[in-house]
Amino acid sequence: MTRKTTLKRAVLVLGLGGSAFALSACDGVYVGVGYGDPYYDGLLWNDYYHDRDVDVDIDIDRPDRPDRPERPDRPDRPKPPVAKPKPPHAKPLPARPPIHRPAGGGGHRGPRR
Amino acid sequence: MKLLQGAVLLAGLALSPVAGLAQTPTTYTENGRALFSFAVPDFWVLRNGGPREITDTELGDARAVSRVMGLRPEASDGVWMGFVSPAGVSSIEDGLDYLGDIDRFLVREPQVTDRSAARIGGRPAQVVRGTGTRDGRGINFTAAVIDLPGPRVAVAVTILAGDADPGFVADLNGVFASFRAAN
Repeated sequence: MTRKTTLKRAVLVLGLGGSAFALSACDGVYVGVGYGDPYYDGLLWNDYYHDRDVDVDIDIDRPDRPDRPERPDRPDRPKPPVAKPKPPHAKPLPARPPIHRPAGGGGHRGPRR
Repeated sequence: MKLLQGAVLLAGLALSPVAGLAQTPTTYTENGRALFSFAVPDFWVLRNGGPREITDTELGDARAVSRVMGLRPEASDGVWMGFVSPAGVSSIEDGLDYLGDIDRFLVREPQVTDRSAARIGGRPAQVVRGTGTRDGRGINFTAAVIDLPGPRVAVAVTILAGDADPGFVADLNGVFASFRAAN
């Protein structure tokens, strides 16, 4: 093995290793949530599913939908302020899949709020 | 060896929270309006959450969920407490119905051992206690539905794993004792 080939391999290994480290560091933002959070997600999923038994969209004899009204003229777009407010930096963590799903995959549901 | 034991004991004392220290008042809000408040014990971590949408990837259905505030001690993974004021749940009876599934999402093989009426922060409440398992651990849970002024309730859930330090019960009760509905 020549010295040049050895150098190339070393660069490749270091490069791949560096990429893996960078990826794992990104993953850690979500994986390293900390303990206790399964219960937090449980409350989220309970709220997600709690109105699953509401039956909607069963009125098969509903009247025809009225024509859509004509769209009014759009007002002039307001000028943006000099300094736009910054969006909040914090973003919610993704919720892990629920440990339980109601029978029937959620059934009929109405629109939430 | 004795020196090592002494060092460990000192380290433990240094890390132990002192009972009776001040707590941190926290307010649960919705659209900027305060619904209720409670105190976060010292050396506990608060996860604030907020209004958001989540999607069950198997259903592909994004839905809005209410703010969930979660608390846990810094030093234990066997204790947890959460608050939520679910939109559309307007009475204690509705709240108990809301709790009908909460055990399934929080614990496996739940067994309700007790239901009772109570007053929390001067407000009428219903408290449900039970046991179950989660991640291979036996746990005790307590869920409370607390009436709020107007057509709203607060739902509070506590989890105490069987192997958790029972001393945390005092902290959990302290949070309940600090609960106050906003006017």
